[in-house]
Amino acid sequence: MENLERNNLLERIKLLAECIEAGNEEEVNRILDDILQKREHMLFQELGRLTREFHDALNSFRLDSRVTELARDNIPDAKQRLNYVISMTEQAANRTLNAVEGTTPICEKIAAQSRMLREQWANFIQRKMTAQDFRNMSRELDSFLENMSADTDRIRENLSEVLMAQDYQDLTGQILQRVIFLVNEMEGHLSRLVRNGSAQTPHDPTVPPLSFAPLAPKTIPDKPSAEEAHGPFVPGVIPAEEVIHNQDDVDSLLSSLGF
Amino acid sequence: MKILVVDDFATMRRIIKNLLRDIGFSNITEADDGSSALPLLQNGDFDFLVTDWNMPGMPGIELLKAVRASPKLAKLPVLMVTAESKREQIIAAAQAGVNGYIVKPFNAVTLKEKLDKIFERLEN
Repeated sequence: MENLERNNLLERIKLLAECIEAGNEEEVNRILDDILQKREHMLFQELGRLTREFHDALNSFRLDSRVTELARDNIPDAKQRLNYVISMTEQAANRTLNAVEGTTPICEKIAAQSRMLREQWANFIQRKMTAQDFRNMSRELDSFLENMSADTDRIRENLSEVLMAQDYQDLTGQILQRVIFLVNEMEGHLSRLVRNGSAQTPHDPTVPPLSFAPLAPKTIPDKPSAEEAHGPFVPGVIPAEEVIHNQDDVDSLLSSLGF
Repeated sequence: MKILVVDDFATMRRIIKNLLRDIGFSNITEADDGSSALPLLQNGDFDFLVTDWNMPGMPGIELLKAVRASPKLAKLPVLMVTAESKREQIIAAAQAGVNGYIVKPFNAVTLKEKLDKIFERLEN
């Protein structure tokens, strides 16, 4: 095809040279006009092609309405979810730190008292103790043992608080899984748009041709059934009135059902 | 008492295991979703099932239904411990035959209360 055009052009130029030599001005002008016109025609053709491609690209944006939906609804949702994750991890960290800060002084108190009692006990064993010192030691020992039970109870309580605070990993994990799912979906749509866009730029034979085949259906249906999992409640994302917020309300709902 | 704890998050399984141990149950097995739990239940002699709802593979509600549909497991007590807290979900779980439902985040007292209540019912 290109060869043919080149030969054609060569023919015309040879003819042009002949006409110039022969002084045939009229023919010279005609050939020049012809060549220029052909050139203009190609330019218009190229412009037409670009316009069509631009139009198709615009259409592909419109066709991919899920992208609009993602940008309008899901991205703000995801931001809210991520912010909620930050506040949940902060709460869990504070719960843990409070429990640790509440436990440390108890341990320090027990350590100091037992150290003191041990010194007094050593004196007693070495018979370096007066009767009055012995009475003091007995009183201190008695109060130490008495407090020990309450102190260990508080330590246990604080440890249990640390244990329960770790539930944030499950709860935030479930929220993050949803955000990751959304990012994956977004990535799929965007890379399809980019692919479609680049398929229309010339001189790239490696890019597959344009396709408007619909993407795989969404895995999160628009109207979830009663058994669809939603993950933990996220304020502002899941309507508060649809959700039961504490165990007491769960219990009363169940008891109204005969449980 | 042999208990199976099913949750896809290992941290939550550990928390539940620790709480159960505090209450006095130490024979605990773990599974990370319904499809790995079901064969364990079918081939084992579990007395109690604690399960999450939202899990990849087979979710807790499906596991509950499979348990109720199995002649061997139909009477196994099932406690759901989950962040799923929509009214319709709790009703769905009740209809599927759950014995107790705890919403996350929960505490040790709630777990003990629900266990006691389930056992009390089973005895009567």
